[in-house]
Amino acid sequence: MKRFFLIFFILFCYGCLSTGSTDLTGHLKTIKTATEELSKASRPISDVEEYYVGRALAARILTNYKVLNNALLIDYINLVGLSIAMHSERPNTYGGYHFTLLDTMEKNAFACPGGIIFITKGMLLSAKSEDELAAILAHEIAHINNKDGISSIKSARWTEALTIIGTQVARTYTSAEISKLVSLFEGAIDDVFKTIVVNGYSQQQEFSADEKAVNYLKKAGYNPKALVDFITNLNVQGSSGGGIMNTHPSSSARLEKLMETTFQIPVDISSMNNRLERFKAVIKKTIQ
Amino acid sequence: MTWLVIIVIFFIFLTPMDSFADSMMVITKGNALRERCRFYSPIKSTLNYGDILDINSTEGDWYKAKFKGVSGCIHKSALEAKSVSSFEGISRQGQGVSQQEVALAGKGFNPEVEKAFRAKNPNLKYNIVDAIERYNVDEKRVFEFIRMGGLTQP
Repeated sequence: MKRFFLIFFILFCYGCLSTGSTDLTGHLKTIKTATEELSKASRPISDVEEYYVGRALAARILTNYKVLNNALLIDYINLVGLSIAMHSERPNTYGGYHFTLLDTMEKNAFACPGGIIFITKGMLLSAKSEDELAAILAHEIAHINNKDGISSIKSARWTEALTIIGTQVARTYTSAEISKLVSLFEGAIDDVFKTIVVNGYSQQQEFSADEKAVNYLKKAGYNPKALVDFITNLNVQGSSGGGIMNTHPSSSARLEKLMETTFQIPVDISSMNNRLERFKAVIKKTIQ
Repeated sequence: MTWLVIIVIFFIFLTPMDSFADSMMVITKGNALRERCRFYSPIKSTLNYGDILDINSTEGDWYKAKFKGVSGCIHKSALEAKSVSSFEGISRQGQGVSQQEVALAGKGFNPEVEKAFRAKNPNLKYNIVDAIERYNVDEKRVFEFIRMGGLTQP
């Protein structure tokens, strides 16, 4: 008898679902929608929001640094950067990847959430080859894909923003809501700025970005050991005027980790030399 | 008991799936359906944020999809499964339909917030950021750059 009722119940449910016109279907939809709304209430920052945070951060960084307006050089770093980004796990971001140069001899690079990447003239000139430049950019792309900048936004700030954003279909914000959201947005930009520009990422985040960078370089066909070479050179050159040395873990700690990862990766020397030639040509024409 | 399990499984397979289960939304500003599942393969159709595609199959990290009658490939990172079915009045194929969905996705830190933020912080160099974003390298040049450098095509 129990079996009979069980089979009857299954058939009843199936009938309800397949006709799509009963109350049960409605209830199931309601449950589904409620579940979706619940998940949105604690959702992470979306790609679109990440893009707007990245734009604001870039706009703020540009109050401290000037852009180096050199079309040939900007074109070149974009070509190198895109050749790597397309091999990352996120070749598409909402606004895409954009690489640009900052006119300062400070050695540094900044990855704004969403895809804008700055590299300073000092950092570029520290690179000895296209593969080393690719290594710098790969490391920054890894920070974006790891969402290291975005994750520095205080969770309490984002939770508060979500209470204003709400979960229902979009509506126009009231002026009070906009004012509050702008204040939270400003706070979020402060959080990211402090991490990326002032204090630097955690040691673990840097190691993880190095590991990913090696993977991107390998996939793209660049020499992954170029990251080891670059960090070694940077260590030899030392730090003058702050920059990357102040915000990154010690070179020896990074090198130790990288040596283990890149030790057995084969390198195609002939194509590396071709890239070295075009790197030298661009640098010679534009800066030196 | 065995026959009962068989019946249950039979009915589960017969039950119609969510009619939108194989639809996904474009989550990048601009994108394209490509002839083959490779970057820099010829573009068959351009796409915009919010366009809803019908997914036919997968090939590695790529989806084979259809939009407005055109079939092609798009990388998985450009798409996101959206609960389109939970929004009444939304149809497919990008006929202005995803506006509600797009609006929802555009909530939070969005152009409206940026506009107010910019007004409050006029010293920020948004004009330069706009110029940086406007700078685009032609796909064919990236393809050629990769080839000339002995690199791997993505």
